[in-house]
Amino acid sequence: MSEFAVDLADVRKTYGRKVRALQGVSIQVRSGEIFGLLGPNGAGKSTLVKVMMTIVRPDCLRGTVLNRAIGDPVALERIGYLPEHHRFPTYLTGRQVVEFSAAMSNVDRRTRKQRAGELLDRVGMGDWKDRPLGSYSKGMRQRTGLAAALVNDPQLVVLDEPTDGVDPVGRREIRDLLIGIRDEGRTVLLNSHLLSEIESVCARVAIMVQGRLVSQGTIDELTASSRRYEIVVEGSPPAWCDGAATVQPIPPGQLLGAGVTGSASRLIFLGLDAIGAQPILDRLRAENRTIVAVQTVRESLEDLFMRAVTDPNTGLIYRPGAER
Amino acid sequence: MTQTLAIFIAAYRELSARRLFWLALGITLLSVGLFSSLGINETGVSFLGWSFESPFFNTNTTSPETFYKLLFINFGVDWWLGLLSTLLALVTTCGIVPDLVAPGSVDLLLAKPISRRRLFLTKYCSGLLFAALQVLLFSTASFIAIGIRGNAWEWTLFAAVPIVTLFYSFLFSICALVGMITRSSVASLILTLVAWSVIFTIGFSETLVNRGRIANEMEQVAIEAALASTKEPPDEDARESLTEALSQANEQEATWQRGHFWLFGIKTILPKTTDTLALLDRWLIDSAAMPARDKESTRGPQEIFGPRHVKRGEFERRVTEEEHSRSIWWVLGTSLLFEGAVLAAATAIFVRRDY
Repeated sequence: MSEFAVDLADVRKTYGRKVRALQGVSIQVRSGEIFGLLGPNGAGKSTLVKVMMTIVRPDCLRGTVLNRAIGDPVALERIGYLPEHHRFPTYLTGRQVVEFSAAMSNVDRRTRKQRAGELLDRVGMGDWKDRPLGSYSKGMRQRTGLAAALVNDPQLVVLDEPTDGVDPVGRREIRDLLIGIRDEGRTVLLNSHLLSEIESVCARVAIMVQGRLVSQGTIDELTASSRRYEIVVEGSPPAWCDGAATVQPIPPGQLLGAGVTGSASRLIFLGLDAIGAQPILDRLRAENRTIVAVQTVRESLEDLFMRAVTDPNTGLIYRPGAER
Repeated sequence: MTQTLAIFIAAYRELSARRLFWLALGITLLSVGLFSSLGINETGVSFLGWSFESPFFNTNTTSPETFYKLLFINFGVDWWLGLLSTLLALVTTCGIVPDLVAPGSVDLLLAKPISRRRLFLTKYCSGLLFAALQVLLFSTASFIAIGIRGNAWEWTLFAAVPIVTLFYSFLFSICALVGMITRSSVASLILTLVAWSVIFTIGFSETLVNRGRIANEMEQVAIEAALASTKEPPDEDARESLTEALSQANEQEATWQRGHFWLFGIKTILPKTTDTLALLDRWLIDSAAMPARDKESTRGPQEIFGPRHVKRGEFERRVTEEEHSRSIWWVLGTSLLFEGAVLAAATAIFVRRDY
């Protein structure tokens, strides 16, 4: 099996002549990982997913999904997909929806009947499986959709906002389900607005802005440059800090800033590791400072996301939507 | 095969979830019940115990078998299946294509390992399921009714299933194309009805003009024959009148021919809805076995779109011969070509569109 379940390069799509939804996006999702796709509204995430699922025809595309060309029926048979605003027929029961999805993926009758029951139980819809979708809440439809996406025993599961409309308990259950899917060796491509959701389950993420991929990697890799050391001491900042509260980047190991919080001072150092912090701690002890806390801090996914969607030249957030 | 079957089962579930589906099937059974409650005896016809005397319809002129077949064709096929149930079917199925291409719905299907072309055409065929079911029910009920009441177990009644389904498919292809372009059920229903009206109007106009053309031809022959047999004075007035009528007929010949040429050409391109249903008439009713129609030959000439110097029966026979000389391939083949072209356009849009 290839290292990548999804390996796409130079994906381009322009709607009409003006709306450039995808501008040469390259994305790689490793087999067996949960990969998060992030971006503001109109960034092109859903278009990229739709290109993968043959719903949108790209202007340009290189690469493979499950080692096959995009649209290859063999690959599509092994992909489970839950679109963002899915519309299952409301007159069908949950079981019928899941079985129909299985039949469309060429799953034989006996298997689809067995799997439909199992999966609906797994997503917590066992008691509702023989009732029509018209009587379901949005969260229940979402759970049923998840079962439908998994019924063909997929190697790759593509989920577009799977927790949309689901209550916090349901979200937790879906998160656990995703982890379970990954532990079974499947690959999950998760497109979500919920950063906390992505952060808690995804090994790697990609951030898209205005049809372009601005960063891609593990959360650790993406936030490495922002990793810093924080030392909290009692009293005012030491004199050598000069009371500076600057946030300008400085060379590694140097003081990034210092701030006063109540009776304590917080000293922030960029690019330090535990060994590099020892001389600073020695110096503070030599000055008879009481060290309250020492901790490594890194940028949150939200900080990373906000940095990605902010124009570095103007400091303004990019306007939503594709580039025209 | 699994996918095709799944789409058909889903289509059946979709239809059966609609009240209109059951209403249409209920009305179908009711209409068969009504026509099977009509009876024929030596003096006329009966309906739910009441008797109505009729010199045209009684067992001396029409056998019970022919009577029920006539009812099946004239009421069942022409009015019920050819008009009312088709309207109901269009109302019920006009949403199939717009629903297919609706956001959130189409994504679920396009992501499956099935080609867009196959998906669209299978969905289209599933739309014909409703019409086929309705006709099958009507034909089966009529088969039983005619068997019991007319004492004739006429299997050819089931020819209505493919014929009426074909007739419906011509209209449904237009409905599918409009639904594909506009994504609106209402627009596809309205525009299909408009198209049906246009097709009917052109077909009806062609029939009328063809009758006029044949009447003119027969008039010329009849007048020439009358002139040949008319002596010189004392029939001078009659001769003058005939000469004038012949002159008029000769003058009108080119107009009738030209008018019919264009209308026939347009009709050839369009689906022949009325002619398709009339095929059942050809197959189920043998004109020679219809004494009621032979009566026409004893009646006087027809005034409108008919020759004044030819008996109505002769004229009607000639018109029927002319219409029956049009081959099944002309009726169905050209209609299927139209349907194929419309479907090809709808499929091309479905295949090329982004959702």
